[in-house]
Amino acid sequence: MKKTTLLLTLLSTLVFAKFNVVASYPYLGEIIQKIGGDQVKVKVLASAKYDPHFVIPKPSLIPTIVRADMLVANGAGLEIGWLPPLLKSANNPKVRIGSEGFVDASRTIRLMNVPKSVSRSMGDIHPEGNPHFDTDPHNVLPIAKLVAKKLMTLDAAHKSVYAHNLKTFTQKWQTFLKGFDAKMKSCKGKKVIQYHELYNYLLKRYGIRSFDSIEPLPGISPSSKHTLELIHKMNKEHITTILQDPYHEKKTAKFIAAKTGAKVVILPHDVGAVSGTKSLEAFYNTIAERLCH
Amino acid sequence: MTKKILLLSLCASTSLFAQSELEELKALLAQQMKTTQALQKRVVQLEKKQTRQTKETKKQAREVQQAKKQIAVVQNTQEATPTVQAAGTFDQKSFLPDISLILDTSYVSRSEKDEALKHLEIPGIAHGIMGEHSHGDGHSHAPLNAHDGFNLNYAEVAMQSNVDPYLSLTGIFHLSEDNFEIEEAYGETTGLGYGLKAKIGKFRSDFGRINSQHQHVQDFSDMPLVYTAFLGGHGIDDIGAQIQWTLPTDTYIMAGFEALQGKNPTMYGTDAIAPEGDEETIVVDSPNQPNLLIAYLKSSFDIDNTTFLYGASVAYGESRLNHLTDEEPHAFVAKSYLYGADLTIKHYFDSYSYLTFQGEYLYRDMDGDTYTYTDASKTSFNSTPTTKEQGGYYAQLVYALDRNYRFGLRYDNINTNDITKNGLSLTTEDNFDRYTAMIDYTPSEFTRFRLQYNQNNAMFNEEGERQHIDSLILEMNLAIGAHGAHTF
Repeated sequence: MKKTTLLLTLLSTLVFAKFNVVASYPYLGEIIQKIGGDQVKVKVLASAKYDPHFVIPKPSLIPTIVRADMLVANGAGLEIGWLPPLLKSANNPKVRIGSEGFVDASRTIRLMNVPKSVSRSMGDIHPEGNPHFDTDPHNVLPIAKLVAKKLMTLDAAHKSVYAHNLKTFTQKWQTFLKGFDAKMKSCKGKKVIQYHELYNYLLKRYGIRSFDSIEPLPGISPSSKHTLELIHKMNKEHITTILQDPYHEKKTAKFIAAKTGAKVVILPHDVGAVSGTKSLEAFYNTIAERLCH
Repeated sequence: MTKKILLLSLCASTSLFAQSELEELKALLAQQMKTTQALQKRVVQLEKKQTRQTKETKKQAREVQQAKKQIAVVQNTQEATPTVQAAGTFDQKSFLPDISLILDTSYVSRSEKDEALKHLEIPGIAHGIMGEHSHGDGHSHAPLNAHDGFNLNYAEVAMQSNVDPYLSLTGIFHLSEDNFEIEEAYGETTGLGYGLKAKIGKFRSDFGRINSQHQHVQDFSDMPLVYTAFLGGHGIDDIGAQIQWTLPTDTYIMAGFEALQGKNPTMYGTDAIAPEGDEETIVVDSPNQPNLLIAYLKSSFDIDNTTFLYGASVAYGESRLNHLTDEEPHAFVAKSYLYGADLTIKHYFDSYSYLTFQGEYLYRDMDGDTYTYTDASKTSFNSTPTTKEQGGYYAQLVYALDRNYRFGLRYDNINTNDITKNGLSLTTEDNFDRYTAMIDYTPSEFTRFRLQYNQNNAMFNEEGERQHIDSLILEMNLAIGAHGAHTF
């Protein structure tokens, strides 16, 4: 009798093992955790400390994908340099591109900066549009809804849990957004330049004007010619803020700041990119505080 | 005056359009007008509703916008209708595979003349590995950077796409000035599950570490010396099948097995041995094919910002090495094992800066017979029992300063060369080394310039004297099109 119960409990742990969800970036991991709660085991592939375009496809990430029941990617080409070879090595039918378990978050977002035509002479541009929509907190809920929908389909046994979690999270997030919008109000009309076009979604929503980027073209290292043009432009337009991400070199931004008297503001691009941004709320609050003070 | 012109132009235009077309157009226009009116009505309705109900405002506003958009679209098409053609009906453009072209070209300055290189050898191990060499069938073959001056190493055309929900197809074609080579062409599973993956076709084996890497992702302009000496410039690139299994463990452990034809002309080979010009008098049969079996185990783990990847590989096959057309005609028939151990350690300083160590040790054990002609008539053979136990390694260090600059150092050595004939060991050299240094500059992800210097002390001339060959290589590698990302 004891043996059978033991066997049964063993079996049940196997059968009722947690639902494995893999996220490409930390912010997606946070969203999945909010919706999945205790029912899911979340693993994040990329570290927020590094450039999201250049994540190293470490072999140690393969077993995680092999065991995944669902994979949530940012999409819009952001993972193109590292996720495809990992998916290929893992050969997991559950998260194969095009399968139900491969979730592309960018599908819920109306993408900005969609180029009319593309050529590599324009630098390393994404034909799909700007993939850095995670810097705008208003994009969290559409993604959360998609994640919930997918979880409810793929792990139907816990449908009600996911529905409940989504409801709770939606309410909480709407309250958060109200507070966030209020914080950002003071920033309206601010003029900035950024290193890479990482913050366009946020800037557009809150009426902040981005004049240019330190990179002459996306993915191309700064050139002295372009930097001098920037300095000229900033002096002429009275631009006083340089938005710098944590992972690019900061020398150019500091140089421009010294020549123009502008302030370099280091904004996180993802959850955990700078210290004190462990949660979604802290991540966005840090952005608001650093940008609007 | 204007009225007259208008009238005239109207007449002209009506005569230009055939009557039936005009009617069609009119009908279309009428229909679209109707749609427009209907949509406009809907807008008005919605706008009215909007003022009444405040709760659903947002949703309706969106609807209004959509309706307005539809009107715009309809109005646009109204103007464009006559020119709309169904040109895209069976268009398959979106099914085009990812296609890319990679060009590799170099300028070489070498201390030896091209013709002298051909006759150099690593005694008892390899000959003709530098410079152009002929396979005896009129098909000559040059390794990369073979010539003094400019070299067109290759133009690589790669295509890749999913075949269906189960398989993907990859084709990699190496085009050189006079040759077309299928470097790889294989079907691969995309979702086999249980950590399994299978491949069938021609592909670069996953034996060791560098063997599966394409030239344009390798850190130096030439293959490690031990690879070139044991397996030739292409490594193990053969026709067959591969199955790999990633174990269900937290740590990455992958076991792989491959069955290949074993056509590698430097170490294996599948052709029967027969005297030159007399293919019917077979002295040694061809081996059973697939002739080459390969197994390997790889594992990887991370400690903070450092990744460790290591593996062990073994290959077994029969050798049929036919050098009967050489200056000293001989053939070597053996049962041959090749063992490999590899270690890669990569430490990341930030997103773009890293330091990588990569090293491999290869060891081979060949046990068989050497066949030589008994006399000048070249009809009968003497066979001499021969064994070869040879080993060598390379170790390289590459430092990436930022996204644009990398520096690398490599040391090559073949340090074991034990050969016995008739059970007696021969006195042989066993210290064949080479030093390499490189700097590369990558202005964008699709362009790379590399300057490489190496001093090769491994080659001997026909008098048995060691040569010191200096090579300076300036290599340019360009890529266009859609080329998939590379593995670690």
